[in-house]
Amino acid sequence: MNSKNAHSSSFRDPSGYVFTENGKIKRAINPIYFKQYKALSDSGFYNDLFKNKLLIKHEEVEKTDEQIIISAEKIPFITYPYEWSFNMYKEAALLTLKLQKYCLEHGFSLKDASAFNVAFHNGKAIFIDTLSFDFYTEDSPWRAYKQFITHFFGPLVLAHYHGAQQLKLLSNFIDGIPVKMLSSLLPFKTKLNPLLYSNIHLLAKLEDKHNEDYKGESKVASLSKKGQLNIIESLYNYIKKLQLKEQSEWGNYYDKTNYTDDAFIEKSQIINAWIKAIKPERLIDVGGNDGTFVRRIDFEVNNALVCDIDNNAVDFNYKTMKLNKEQFMLPFVLDVLNPSASIGLNNKERDSFLNRIREFAPNVTLALAVIHHMSLSGNVPFRNSAQFFSTFSKHLVIEFPKRNDSWVQRLLKSKGEFENHFSFYSIENFEIAYSEFFTITKKTPIINSDRVMYLLEVKS
Amino acid sequence: MITLYFDPGLGAMIIQTIIAAVAGVILFSKNLMYKIKVFLGITKDNKKDVFDDIDINKDSDLENKNSSEL
Repeated sequence: MNSKNAHSSSFRDPSGYVFTENGKIKRAINPIYFKQYKALSDSGFYNDLFKNKLLIKHEEVEKTDEQIIISAEKIPFITYPYEWSFNMYKEAALLTLKLQKYCLEHGFSLKDASAFNVAFHNGKAIFIDTLSFDFYTEDSPWRAYKQFITHFFGPLVLAHYHGAQQLKLLSNFIDGIPVKMLSSLLPFKTKLNPLLYSNIHLLAKLEDKHNEDYKGESKVASLSKKGQLNIIESLYNYIKKLQLKEQSEWGNYYDKTNYTDDAFIEKSQIINAWIKAIKPERLIDVGGNDGTFVRRIDFEVNNALVCDIDNNAVDFNYKTMKLNKEQFMLPFVLDVLNPSASIGLNNKERDSFLNRIREFAPNVTLALAVIHHMSLSGNVPFRNSAQFFSTFSKHLVIEFPKRNDSWVQRLLKSKGEFENHFSFYSIENFEIAYSEFFTITKKTPIINSDRVMYLLEVKS
Repeated sequence: MITLYFDPGLGAMIIQTIIAAVAGVILFSKNLMYKIKVFLGITKDNKKDVFDDIDINKDSDLENKNSSEL
């Protein structure tokens, strides 16, 4: 069946599979899905979703009796649910519910509700699985309901009660967090909320009860369309209002940095001048916080990835992006000391961050105010961080806070008696280590600060 | 109808009738509360909201028109 080189994540759905051909993303549709595909195309359903930018655009390129091939718009960088900030996650969940409602109103139904069916593109969540739509059978319950709870609703409610870190759980539970686990992790008071009780606790109980029905004796109850719409709408309203309880640690980061206004403006001007000279189409800002410096770049880049370890900072960036209606920005959560790994079947289903960044091939990498955290908090020697950054892009803009910098001092003080172990942290050692992988093209100290900006170029 | 390629969970299929009933009550009461609040004039309009309503506007291409004008 998978005659062409199918994408390693595209094996579950018998309706078809994704493959790449000459750098283009294509999808082969098998005869089993022809009827659905025809109905979705002819009724204008696909077109309506394209118009509203809810489904990734495709066009038919080949049609035979055995196979239909469609070519889909390429998303420059795919992010996974465990890399989304809280509100990004919310948008993806709301998109899925929105689509299911639209489906029901037009005689279709989503046959799955996996969080991996959503990606972020041009500043918006977008559905990427073109073959997830099936015909709606009158009075049948939503088959993807449980998947929606384990992929979207559960993680969001967990994050509400226990913080945004919970969203990372999906990297271990690749097919959703088990309902029983969701139920046991939530505080007792959630049992008093009718919506949470019915959608999580009661669901967990019933799933447990019917778990051992191997003979298929239980009867599937019927559910009217109105009933299903009630579920979808009540979940939508609940998720839309859901907020994080925790306060942002870094939300007001730039209010509590050790920069003077002059230094801040100068840093931004240095970056600006260098970026303008490089003229990048794509860039990545590692440790980019809320995207402040990328927004101050006075050059139009097509795609800017801005990642940070702190979910709240990423969320702040995401909200700014939404309010400004920016299309070039893509915020996501990334821990440089532990970037997302390749996971799933054959360890190939979901690609690692490093593979994705290699394919994205940014022209320049920004690493501002990151190196001291990597070296002092993460104990990463300069040579290792240099090697790490050298795989990203040809150019690297890196900021080095000297030993006297107040942040560096704070980090060193927190080491207590081990402070001496970090005597390697000096600008001389930094230059020696980085020179092994890079040529220093430019070096400019920032006025009124103990920080130096470097423009480096990878040695070939 | 394509045979489903993942387990929808039998319990999850059965329970949806109950959840739908609960959801119906919630929606009804929220709606009622909203109407009372509007009547009393104590609703707040949150214009800064990032997320839109559940309904997809089929006929209006307003968003697309606006963006193509830019």
